[in-house]
Amino acid sequence: MSRIPVWFDTDIGVDDAAALLVLGKLEQVEVVGISAVAGNVPLCRTYDNARKVSQLIGMSVPVYRGAEKPLFKELKAAVNVHGEDGLGGAELPPSQASEPSGAAWDALYRAAVEAKGELEVVAVGPLTNLAIAIGKYPHLKTLIRRILIMGGAAKGGNVTPSAEFNIYVDPHAAQMVFKSGIPVVMCGLDVTHRAYLTAEELAEIGNHDTPVCRFFRDSTRDLLLFHEQWGEPGIILHDICPVLFLTHPEIYQGQEAGVFVETQGTITNGKTVTDLWSDKEFPVKNTFVVLDVDRPAFVSLVRDAIISY
Amino acid sequence: MDDIKKIPLILDGDPGHDDAIAWMLAKASPELDIRAVTSCAGNQTIEKTTYNAQRVCTLLGIDAPIAMGRPRPLLSDPITAGNIHGQTGLDGPALPAPSMELSPLGAVELMAEVLRSSETPVTIVSTGPQTNVAALLMAHPELKEKIGRISLMGGGIAYGNWTPAAEFNILVDPEAAQVVFSSGIPVQMAGLDVTEKALIFPEDFERIRAVGNQVAKVVADWLEFFYRFHRSIGYAGAPVHDPCAVASLLHPELFTIQEMYVEVETAGEYCRGATVGDIKGRLGRTPNTRCLMDVDRQGFADLLVEAVRAYDGWEVRV
Repeated sequence: MSRIPVWFDTDIGVDDAAALLVLGKLEQVEVVGISAVAGNVPLCRTYDNARKVSQLIGMSVPVYRGAEKPLFKELKAAVNVHGEDGLGGAELPPSQASEPSGAAWDALYRAAVEAKGELEVVAVGPLTNLAIAIGKYPHLKTLIRRILIMGGAAKGGNVTPSAEFNIYVDPHAAQMVFKSGIPVVMCGLDVTHRAYLTAEELAEIGNHDTPVCRFFRDSTRDLLLFHEQWGEPGIILHDICPVLFLTHPEIYQGQEAGVFVETQGTITNGKTVTDLWSDKEFPVKNTFVVLDVDRPAFVSLVRDAIISY
Repeated sequence: MDDIKKIPLILDGDPGHDDAIAWMLAKASPELDIRAVTSCAGNQTIEKTTYNAQRVCTLLGIDAPIAMGRPRPLLSDPITAGNIHGQTGLDGPALPAPSMELSPLGAVELMAEVLRSSETPVTIVSTGPQTNVAALLMAHPELKEKIGRISLMGGGIAYGNWTPAAEFNILVDPEAAQVVFSSGIPVQMAGLDVTEKALIFPEDFERIRAVGNQVAKVVADWLEFFYRFHRSIGYAGAPVHDPCAVASLLHPELFTIQEMYVEVETAGEYCRGATVGDIKGRLGRTPNTRCLMDVDRQGFADLLVEAVRAYDGWEVRV
């Protein structure tokens, strides 16, 4: 069986890094490219981090620079969550890989052409790079099989009561993605908050004496405390959700829905508005909204992937 | 019960089947003293909801003054819900002709009058758009302290109904709703979070009908009519939204209540009329609303069945 060609777009990020660790161990997947975008931390950091984490796991795919700022807004980073460096202070050696030329959106387009309509994009940061690609290449929608995002929420938010961080940072880009005609799988806060690892589960993985497990342990230490402060039952590694959805959709539950992004509100900008529960529905079902996960199965897949390096 | 201890009440609504059932519950409750009834535009036009208010008060024996409210929302064009409540706004069983005249006062004037003359703080139960209540608060800031609380049906912390993000009553007049939530007066919100769990099943309709008096039969017919629309879109029962705003005053123990800061989105491409609740307290603002989030459905249904019993021996000519 041929492997699924996957593009990984990230504002790497503690949980993005964990997601990349898991992605690198999915045998049914072939990662064909990585692009960095500004989000959790500025682009220079996310680009650097993506290169370093790829090197750590021996993933030799090109990492491209993407957008430095959202389409229309100023960047609002989350250094309070991910640390100044974006990796919770965990140290990694600088990448020795050569730097590919060209921008993320052009490389993504070429990869989509190459994959002949089979490409799946996992996007775990603000959706700026994807929006630019969609804007530049109108027929991209026929070339990408689906976009799996970490972002949004059918109910609630985190950075505001209505909005989740990735969508809030660049709501216009997100709206372009939801309007693109490319099917979206949305792993929002509804599911990611159920996909936590307890302190014990985290420690068990971190106790394996490998460079990858040591990095995982060091990078997640502060984030665990941050989430515990907010009363969560463990660490929430949001970005792993769409990665495992690629190969293990059976551990998730969700529903088809119409989803669009508010960009013109006063207090609701960045809200992913779904018609899951309203009497009135949107005219299209453009998104599979993931709502729940079999947590023990999730944790065991995460653990097995990370300790197997 | 001693009259002094009764809670003075103003009923503001756009009847509407569920408004009428809310008023039935209020009138049946000896703890509550209905001082005024005011109509608002919402489920139907102001002429229709006002006429319905008179007919419902006649049926139930509510003898408080009735005043007509604003014909239009503060800023928006009116929206009505004929698809749910019918052409009259209260389609279904035959109702008595009004036995009383309308008050010569407008809704805001009547509410102000009731507040001024009340010794104890008045509770406003508003089960339609917040237009009249907002107009009252804007015109009479000096009377705010005479309002004990506003128990409203409207909004939804998690989602909407009329649009994906907004519930009907708030969507009709978002600016008015924001005036109410930001007023500083304690607000108790029966939104879709609770009202869609407050389902009255067809077997409950029959329990109500079996009580046998005139009001019981009419309420059962109202429920059947109201359920038609909801059954067609997949509901297992009738979500009788508005009675939650009254039931939560009488029996708070039936409800799960969460205090939070709530603000209404008045702009937006998709979210106009959404009630945004800071459910996790991230904004650090003082909670302004007691949000009803869940209900003991059986206890709520039983309460409605008991309430219609209060009308045994009461009958008006239809």
